[in-house]
Amino acid sequence: MSTDPPAVPGDAPVPDLRDGGLYGLLLYGVSVGFALVVSAGLVAVTGNAWDSVAGALADGAFLAPGRWGETLAVATPILLVALGMVVGVRAGFFNIGQEGQLLMGALAMALIGTRLAGPGPVLLVGGLALGAVAGGVYAGVAALMRFRRGVPEVISTLLLVFVAFQIVGFAITTDWFLRDLDPNRPSQAVTSAALPGSVRLPVVTLWGNEVTVGFFLALLGAGLVAFVLSRTVFGFKLRLLGSNPRVAQQAGVSFGRAGATALFISGAAAGLAGASMLAAGASSARLTTGFSNEIGWQGLLVALLARNRPLLCIPVAILFAALRTGSGFLAATGVDRTVVDVVQALLVLALLVPPAVEFMRDRRQVSIAARATEPA
Amino acid sequence: MSDILSALGDIFTSPAMYGSAVRLGVFLAFAALGELVAEKAGTINISVEGSLLAGALGGAVAFDMSGSTVFGLAAGAVAGVSVAMVAANMSHRLTADQFVVGITVNVLVLGLAGFLDATVSPLGGRAAVVGVPFLSDIPVIGPALFSQTWPTYLLYGLIPLTWWLLYRTRWGLELRSAGENPQAADVSGVDVNRRRRQAVSYGGSLAGLGGAFLILGQVGSFDVGAVGGRGFIAIAAVYFGGWTLRGTLAGALLFGMADAFRLAVPVLGYQVNAQLLAALPYVLTLVVMYFITKRFVQPAALAKPFVRGLR
Amino acid sequence: MIDDFRFQPPVLEVDGLTKHFGSVVACEEVDLALRAGEIHGVLGENGAGKSTLMRMIFGLVDPDRGVIRIDGEATRIADPSEAVRQGIGMVHQHYSLVDALTVWENVAIGEVGPLDPEKTRARIRRISWRYGLSVDPDATVRDLSAGIRQRVEIIKCLGRRPRVIILDEPTSALTPAESQYLFDVLLTGVRTQGWAVALVSHKLDEILRATDRITVMRQGRVVDRLLTAEARVPALAQAMVGRPVPLRTVTATFERDQVARDLLDADPMDDGPGQTAEPAASTTPILQVDNASVKGADGRVLLDGLSLAVGAGEIVGVAGVEGNGQTALADLLAGLLRLDDGTVLVKGRTVPTGVAGAMVGAGIAVVPADRHRAGCVLDMSVAENLMIPSTHNMRRWGLLRQDAIRRNALQLIEEYDIRTSGPDALLGELSGGNQQRTVIARALSASPEVMVAHQPTRGLDVGAIEYVGDRIRRSADRGIGVLLLSTDLREILSLADRVVVLHRGSIVGEMSRDELDLPRLGLLIGGTDEEEKAS
Repeated sequence: MSTDPPAVPGDAPVPDLRDGGLYGLLLYGVSVGFALVVSAGLVAVTGNAWDSVAGALADGAFLAPGRWGETLAVATPILLVALGMVVGVRAGFFNIGQEGQLLMGALAMALIGTRLAGPGPVLLVGGLALGAVAGGVYAGVAALMRFRRGVPEVISTLLLVFVAFQIVGFAITTDWFLRDLDPNRPSQAVTSAALPGSVRLPVVTLWGNEVTVGFFLALLGAGLVAFVLSRTVFGFKLRLLGSNPRVAQQAGVSFGRAGATALFISGAAAGLAGASMLAAGASSARLTTGFSNEIGWQGLLVALLARNRPLLCIPVAILFAALRTGSGFLAATGVDRTVVDVVQALLVLALLVPPAVEFMRDRRQVSIAARATEPA
Repeated sequence: MSDILSALGDIFTSPAMYGSAVRLGVFLAFAALGELVAEKAGTINISVEGSLLAGALGGAVAFDMSGSTVFGLAAGAVAGVSVAMVAANMSHRLTADQFVVGITVNVLVLGLAGFLDATVSPLGGRAAVVGVPFLSDIPVIGPALFSQTWPTYLLYGLIPLTWWLLYRTRWGLELRSAGENPQAADVSGVDVNRRRRQAVSYGGSLAGLGGAFLILGQVGSFDVGAVGGRGFIAIAAVYFGGWTLRGTLAGALLFGMADAFRLAVPVLGYQVNAQLLAALPYVLTLVVMYFITKRFVQPAALAKPFVRGLR
Repeated sequence: MIDDFRFQPPVLEVDGLTKHFGSVVACEEVDLALRAGEIHGVLGENGAGKSTLMRMIFGLVDPDRGVIRIDGEATRIADPSEAVRQGIGMVHQHYSLVDALTVWENVAIGEVGPLDPEKTRARIRRISWRYGLSVDPDATVRDLSAGIRQRVEIIKCLGRRPRVIILDEPTSALTPAESQYLFDVLLTGVRTQGWAVALVSHKLDEILRATDRITVMRQGRVVDRLLTAEARVPALAQAMVGRPVPLRTVTATFERDQVARDLLDADPMDDGPGQTAEPAASTTPILQVDNASVKGADGRVLLDGLSLAVGAGEIVGVAGVEGNGQTALADLLAGLLRLDDGTVLVKGRTVPTGVAGAMVGAGIAVVPADRHRAGCVLDMSVAENLMIPSTHNMRRWGLLRQDAIRRNALQLIEEYDIRTSGPDALLGELSGGNQQRTVIARALSASPEVMVAHQPTRGLDVGAIEYVGDRIRRSADRGIGVLLLSTDLREILSLADRVVVLHRGSIVGEMSRDELDLPRLGLLIGGTDEEEKAS
């Protein structure tokens, strides 16, 4: 059997941001500007003023009291997911099922938090750990399919997202599993029981804003990922695998084993994100089918936009979180909050264009120069 | 155990089951057929999900405005192809990564659909059921295949058309060569990225049609969650089919059957957890992919970008 | 019948064609005229700009400056389909056939008008018959041998009725007999149809044998033009290389061809490489491959009961036509391929196949044919590339020791004379020759027992080729067993102590340097040792 690794999805060149120069900046300016104009146009078409929308977004994200704490809280799981994505992509794997892995992490947290008795901090730490493991194992299913049978993880992880939704649905509608049977529960919706107050991530108050400690842990995580990738043997092996799997295999980095590890880590980060969301009180600390709320997708996009640089993920995650929290203030303007989803996607598309354009320009020169010294 | 078997027997002998299997299969087949063309040219077109949703929305809006199913279907196809063209140009003109582009486009369409759904609230509607004379009288498969809403029959025309395009036209030959060996195609005078864009666009138009069919030929009302990842199942159907037309259709039908099974169980009065049933098509897809992926038959340049001068 | 080509007006004329890639000069003010009824040899080393020139003529590369004239009229050729419309056909060195498609489909790709399988098949049969290029139109290209594929290439090119035919290194995958056949076909066409043929090659002997006129290129410029009848080997070699070429270097590195071989044979005592390489003395092989068999994912046989052995300090050359299992053998010894059957032993100990790191761990270093595929990491730095095989002395507690990595890199850069702006430069920014030096430095820095070199000089310039040959010899002198896989017989003959012949995934013959029998070697390589005699 040939062990020739198949094409690595996400294989297309990821060009470098740094060398853009003036031309690059201009490209970014034009393309982001275009995205913003289209977004403003969309708002205008629905008969609203774009400046009031922008103002509402700014209020909701940062300016109104307590909002930036909220923004950082939302940024936390996004950043965690993005960091996992970075590890996966650097190793050459394109796990895009974070939405599902995140749900599995939250499910694990809910199980520990509402079904076990014990001291709060123990349950909290145990829940977070198990959440990470659950997300990792869930991504591991895709790894198994990839390395045993060559099923592309791009497709398997996507399909697993929809399975995860149903698993969560099953859990919260099943009495023996997670369903909240308390007759005094606040809403009629079927959910899990709320995580007890003792099993929550603590918050610190900074300049009148409550900031979850999860955010600081995520910041540490970003530093850790950056360090591991650039400075450790393990990180080197992962990068080697991502850059040239055949060279890696020769050097003793097993495509299957190291690849599965990378996928596990990327899933674990998403699982941890889910567990921490629940422990930070998202969705009233209750697991619901809509619990993931597209945080998984957002994290994925953040990693892509940050060009898989862990530290760059931090500001991008905060930006994305700001759009989400800001959208909470849109109701007053009469514009549906889903407009921010559009703005976000347009921004991402816009930011994909300049590097691609520059890649075309540079690569033509460089690669053909390299080839010119060789027979074609 | 025997209970389960007799229940399965009940379900699989129920004519309603086959009718709905075909309906759901047809919906998937629209998208899978288009996806097959895109993959033959070398693109795993993740944005097929977005094209489906755009088609569904476009179909609903156009139907709402005009009351015409024909117009709705056409608008669906246009919406689907618009989405696909964004993806195609991003990945095969600018060489942005096709998965990154696909995901982003899907997010964009989901956002737009949510926004427009909230803004214009299209209702949609449903086309009439038309039985094909004689053919619909064949036992079991007759009503299933030939007593459907009329847009279903569009698919029956698109299957041979797609086959003909792929295997009997120069366009199809060039498209397949672009998916197998873009360098060779290029030096032979084929504009590889153009063919790839066209293939993705063709796929998008079929997916758009499929999305409109879902609303106008089947469900009858628009919902942002209506597509819910079926685009990815369509991609799986292409894998299932080993990149052949026949296999892809079989895959679409199989996964449609799983969907129909989910709907048939409660109708026939069996108590099975709704969520577990809802997961069935996805789980089945995963299981099937695990057991029958044959990597060596896939187009050799699948998911590999092409830039002239680069290997 | 076309008479003397010298009196024909040029069909295709190239005037001052220039192409720079960044700071690299690929072609500088190149003039060339192709006349109907001639075979025009374009001779030059790898990297001399021949391919770029042809790719510009065929619309695959945009020239910076210069004019292409067809029948005296200036024209712009934007892409290959435009070239075809202008009557230019090209037979490519590699990848221009689609494996998964049939012969007739391949021939039809890129043509215009509605697709008509029957007509295409009929046309293929007609061309086949006329030029004796027999091929089944419905065969799938994947199943064809290199020689037959070449026929398909030519049929495809001829099917478009070209007046100008460009052949870019057409014999690289052909046996000597197949090459001769190709030249016969060309000659027929040139003499009867009045084609203008450009034959691009770095092989002196085929240029001398098959052409009417020769243009010699060096470093992107035309350095000589002459009639083949008046050409002399030493002068031609000197024009190609740019300095007087000692016979030994000629034979060892540039002209692995008939002419040079004759010269070598005439004076083996002075110039034979056997002079430097010690004859293999070792009795127990350091590397042993026993009965290795493996099939590809699509069921095709890659290796079929292959057995060979390499002693310490011995250079074993594996000769054979491309596509007979060289890549599989190199992949096997790189740990990239798991055997279905058979074993690999290093110093008598079995090494598991297809296990990450096992081969390197056992002391096998591989310099692969396609270094971009399996040899190096373009988007990592030179220093990182150089530390890949052995991080053990560059790590501490799981952390990379930046100082040790840097020291290691600086030392190897110095020792192997790698031209780079520094250890932190990305490998992709280096020239091909320096990338190859990096790959070799990396391979040898792991102190291997065995070095496997697969086409180690392909695509390199003169200096680099000499360097690589020298490194291989020095490695053997230090007691390393060397397995040299090459389709270039001269390269093998100039280095190897012993030659084995690879055909369809197994070793079909073996001879030591002392008992070298060139005619028999040629037949073995063609896989026709018995058959040819019979027919």
